[in-house]
Amino acid sequence: MARVGLHPHTRRALTGYALIAPAMLVTTAFLLVPMALSAYWSLTTYNGITAPTWVGLHNYVALFQDPRFLRSLSNTVAFVILGMTIGPALGLCAALLLNERIHGRAFFRTAIFLPVTTSLVVVATVWKMLLNDQGIVNAVLSFFGLSGHAWLADPSTALYAVILVSVWQGLGFEAVVFLAALQSIPHDLYDAARVDGANSWRRFRHVTLPGLRPTLLFVFVIGIIGSFQVFDQMFVMTQGGPVGSTETIVYYLIDRFQALELGRASAVAYILLAILATLSAIQFRLFEERS
Amino acid sequence: MKALRIAGAVVLAAGMLLAAGCGSSSSTPSATASGPITGTLTVWDYYGSATPIKPAVAAFQKLHPDLKINYQAVDYDTFQQKFSVGVSSGAPPDVATLDMTWIPEYASQGVLTDVSALSGGTLNGRPIAAQYTPGALHAMTYQGHLVTMLYDFDAYALYYRADLFKQKGIAAPTTWSQFSAAARKLAVTRGGKAVKYGFQVLPDTFHFAQMLFQSGGTILNSDDTQAAFDSPAGVTALNYMKSFLDDGTGVYWGPDQGDSSGIAGIKDQRIGMFLNGPYMMGILKSSAPEQKGEWAVAPAPINTRPGSYLGGTGLAIPANAKNPAAAWAFAQFLLTPSQQIGVYKYGGAAPATTAALHDPLLTKPDPYFGGQAPFAVFLQAMSTATPFPYVKPWSDIDTAISDGVTSALLGKQSAADALKGAAGRTNDLLAGQ
Repeated sequence: MARVGLHPHTRRALTGYALIAPAMLVTTAFLLVPMALSAYWSLTTYNGITAPTWVGLHNYVALFQDPRFLRSLSNTVAFVILGMTIGPALGLCAALLLNERIHGRAFFRTAIFLPVTTSLVVVATVWKMLLNDQGIVNAVLSFFGLSGHAWLADPSTALYAVILVSVWQGLGFEAVVFLAALQSIPHDLYDAARVDGANSWRRFRHVTLPGLRPTLLFVFVIGIIGSFQVFDQMFVMTQGGPVGSTETIVYYLIDRFQALELGRASAVAYILLAILATLSAIQFRLFEERS
Repeated sequence: MKALRIAGAVVLAAGMLLAAGCGSSSSTPSATASGPITGTLTVWDYYGSATPIKPAVAAFQKLHPDLKINYQAVDYDTFQQKFSVGVSSGAPPDVATLDMTWIPEYASQGVLTDVSALSGGTLNGRPIAAQYTPGALHAMTYQGHLVTMLYDFDAYALYYRADLFKQKGIAAPTTWSQFSAAARKLAVTRGGKAVKYGFQVLPDTFHFAQMLFQSGGTILNSDDTQAAFDSPAGVTALNYMKSFLDDGTGVYWGPDQGDSSGIAGIKDQRIGMFLNGPYMMGILKSSAPEQKGEWAVAPAPINTRPGSYLGGTGLAIPANAKNPAAAWAFAQFLLTPSQQIGVYKYGGAAPATTAALHDPLLTKPDPYFGGQAPFAVFLQAMSTATPFPYVKPWSDIDTAISDGVTSALLGKQSAADALKGAAGRTNDLLAGQ
């Protein structure tokens, strides 16, 4: 007598669906539904209490006519460009140094990673005190006969001061990721390069960098997504000021949300999503073309 | 595979971004003031450790044992975020303390209950209009709706170090020229560097408005459709603020200092004078007890006329509050004369109802202020104070003015240019509201 039941292929598929169902449910409830709702709200005026009013693309148009939003966009781009240039470069330098057999290597590895394990709010609060016009940074400058500066109070220096703190805090993460990648590059390649007469720069250029390509992609993608969403440091250190010089896109988004302009805030979120999706796609393409 | 990875990155980014979009709408409950006070009452309070509301909660609980009171102390600096999340997600408090400068933003969006409907026009059995000053009533009303009940008031007077004034033979200044002269005498430089300052210069709309009003200016025109703060009176006001920085007698106290009260500069004796509201009486006593007897309060020195911004704390009931009847009962309780005195007793701030304003406790000599009764000075300031305009984009206008004031005080722009820029932005905001 033939056994009645599901085809093994169908059974396997059903098992698969059952296994991914919890994850899909969570993703749908906490990601896809909010995304769909936000997409709808971005086309409305909505305060969270009264019913949304359809306004089409008005929120998007109004944002690009709002000098405050444009300023927050330009501040964010400056933060990303400087942060993602200085941060990975210093992280790679630190990783190259820490990969060598130097005295106290374990100590330096721990020390450089320590800020990563510290709360961003704590780091920002401490740096806020250090950079205050009565703070240690100015006291040290004064000791060397240099005049101090109100780093966070001056619109021309505040953003750079916040970038410096962000780079300092994130350096350990980048260094550790690069260090792990460096240690995964086979030594045979370096030996072969040496036999071929390659000097240290050529070994770095032709062996290390290609070996780091997937790691570079990871650091840049994660770093750029994170940098575009920068908020905590600004909230603690400058509250977006002075004169809006450190107001970023997410700071602006939260400000609109706080003002119960949920439609406008959702439009900001989608503009940011579009920017990040575009940049991520470009990065993937660039790295794939070269690999 | 590539498409999957790109999609993964996009979803990751989206997940990080769209946490703000999790709110849900909820219907506005019908509010009734009658009936027993039962259920749960959620109270959000931003006063901090010196709160008069927490002791009142305990007293109210004794009166209504069947009511469950959920009291939450919320940090002032993050209060607006939490309030917005609560209101938009359908989990608002029943009663919240709101800074009066936040009221237009919420009232214009229909987020606050019109208390007239709940109260029937009376507060603790007497007409509301008879229990507040006209200025306070004006501040509590948005487009004809009574959207909040003033709980404490804020109007600025001059705090000064009476001991230093005595040492240096200075009288409390009454005019701007005397004010500048006093600041010059208080300022101390060492090795060419200022170490003590006569005056704390705060780059915000509150302090600019103080000088603006005293110079005969207004923030907006009479029908609230155009900026008016860029008038000659505004330029005079801003230049006067800047004069303290130009001659080194004032210390610039920006947000980077971390505390707008300036208590750090007060504690280390850098600041000799500052303009602020009655709530600073409580902060001084709790944060600088060692300076007992050294401070005094005088009416703010004037240019052409007295003036200050009028603000404070309002008790508000969100439109989607779950228990508006209990909320109104609690608000009434907080506004009884005996509880209003708690605003002064616990918080060191100024109660808002007229019955409490004339309580003898408030005019009792205060040893912290050398036996002076500083409250009378604030009461006088309140009588000539003006609330900020009740327009929908006030929060953004406030930012535009603060940015202009900061820019001029830091020397990035002339006062006239900075105010002109802020006025342009204000006019755009008013046109688009």
